[in-house]
Amino acid sequence: MKNPAVKASTFEYITISLSALLLFFIIAPLVSLFMEANPSISVEMIRNQEVINAIEVSLEASILSVTILTVMGVPLAYILARRDFPGKQLVEAFVDLPLVMPHAVAGIMILAAFGSRGLLGGYLQDLGLIIEDNFKGIVIVMAFVSIPLLVDTVKVGFQLIGSSLESVARTLGASEWKAFTTITLPLSFKHILAGALLGWARGLSEVGALLVVAYYPKTVNILILEYLSVYGLKYAATLSAIYALIVLSIFIALRKVASK
Amino acid sequence: MTMILLENVSVKLEGFELNIDKLEVGEGEYLAVLGGSGVGKTLLLYTIAGLIKPYAGRVYIGSIDVTDYPPEKRKVSLVPQDYALFPHMTVIDNISYGLRIRGVPRSVAYEKAKYLARLLRIEEILDRKPDTLSGGEKQRVALARALAVDPKVMLLDEPFNALDPELQMEGLKFLKSLRSKLEFTAIHVTHNIMEALFISDKVGYMAKGKLVGVFGREEFLQTKYSEPYVDLVENLYRELK
Ligand SMILES: Nc1ncnc2c1ncn2[C@@H]1O[C@H](COP(=O)(O)OP(=O)(O)OP(=O)(O)O)[C@@H](O)[C@H]1O
Ligand SMILES: [Mg+2]
Repeated sequence: MKNPAVKASTFEYITISLSALLLFFIIAPLVSLFMEANPSISVEMIRNQEVINAIEVSLEASILSVTILTVMGVPLAYILARRDFPGKQLVEAFVDLPLVMPHAVAGIMILAAFGSRGLLGGYLQDLGLIIEDNFKGIVIVMAFVSIPLLVDTVKVGFQLIGSSLESVARTLGASEWKAFTTITLPLSFKHILAGALLGWARGLSEVGALLVVAYYPKTVNILILEYLSVYGLKYAATLSAIYALIVLSIFIALRKVASK
Repeated sequence: MTMILLENVSVKLEGFELNIDKLEVGEGEYLAVLGGSGVGKTLLLYTIAGLIKPYAGRVYIGSIDVTDYPPEKRKVSLVPQDYALFPHMTVIDNISYGLRIRGVPRSVAYEKAKYLARLLRIEEILDRKPDTLSGGEKQRVALARALAVDPKVMLLDEPFNALDPELQMEGLKFLKSLRSKLEFTAIHVTHNIMEALFISDKVGYMAKGKLVGVFGREEFLQTKYSEPYVDLVENLYRELK
């Protein structure tokens, strides 16, 4: 019970001040970014074809990657949530691998496996899949780094539902598919959406592995780095602000949908 | 005719083993199963329902070997210990689920659901979501949901443990009357000896993952397995005096 007449306890005082400090730590850079951004440059920028292209590449690649990842990640999350098997912990460790890998290392790994001179590159090339400096490479990089966020979030969703609802559905005549689509899927929809959102955001934010694998076609992150080194902070900040505005508004809108 | 038959069934879990040498339940028969906590009663029901695969032995339902059948092909309804009502559906949709999944039109399924709800006295709550229900209401919804598909076999896992004595008696009477109409075979797990004796034809007793025996009702009272249950009442009686 909250009682306004009672003086804040030391506990409250400390927790609230520490939280406020942390929030400030997030908000200050965001506000500074928009203050650094230059309105007239930004008008110029949103007409610039290079910028438009980069935004398109970033959004398209990240949406495609999270779509593919969801299709494959939801089954994996389901298996991890429902089944016990030897080596499960190892599988879970693999899933989390992209989370702990330095981004440049992730890029090198992808290149070493799927690059044209990589281990599987030859076969992929025959299939028409070249990743170096290629849109497909961007999609693969984004999917790779997003795996843990999507799979772990969805897995928790499935675990929360438990298996007894599916069990009852099965005894009532539902096949595995029917039980999944009528019971588990609707109940875990929020978690799947949240996982996809986190995965999408993670993919969008990747730059280290992209520098290694696919500098071209330029994504916004790459362009921002380029602007920073060529034109300086003002230009980079302006592009960053535009990009942040777009991404944040999509993110907030989807979060609204997810919390319904 | 034999309706449920288990032969040399073994289920192995981490740290627990269920071994049923033989269990036979005749068509239309009502078997109550008593036994301490954690002896494998729920596991037995899950094995019959096909939710757990035995690693050895055979399970027959209606003289068909269903050991390798998935649960949805067994025509066995389960009222689980934790009710497991579908939280995203209203009560009426919960009850109709089994019919809807079979492609029965909504209006027909709803009619059946309403009929069962009337019998179980839950017609007032048909439009509510499960999380707003009391324990006793949830149990009756779970019962109605299991009955809606006209199962050949009903597996009831402590179906009345959340009901007050009056509703419990009503539920038992209801099940009994329904039995004579619908002629299903039932295995009914309970910790309540009165419940077991009131509703069943036979009483099975389980201990440590084994089915110790199946007895007639009076016969069961002569066995040492009934002692703890009888003692409980006697001790209480003595205490009060
Ligand atoms: N999925 C599982 N994995 C491992 N052990 C399990 C699993 N399910 C049940 N067990 C164990 O099997 C034993 C039997 O469980 P079961 O649920 O059948 O007991 P029960 O007789 O129904 O008990 P209660 O009367 O308390 O409901 C218990 O020791 C339980 O811990
Ligand atoms: Mg149990």
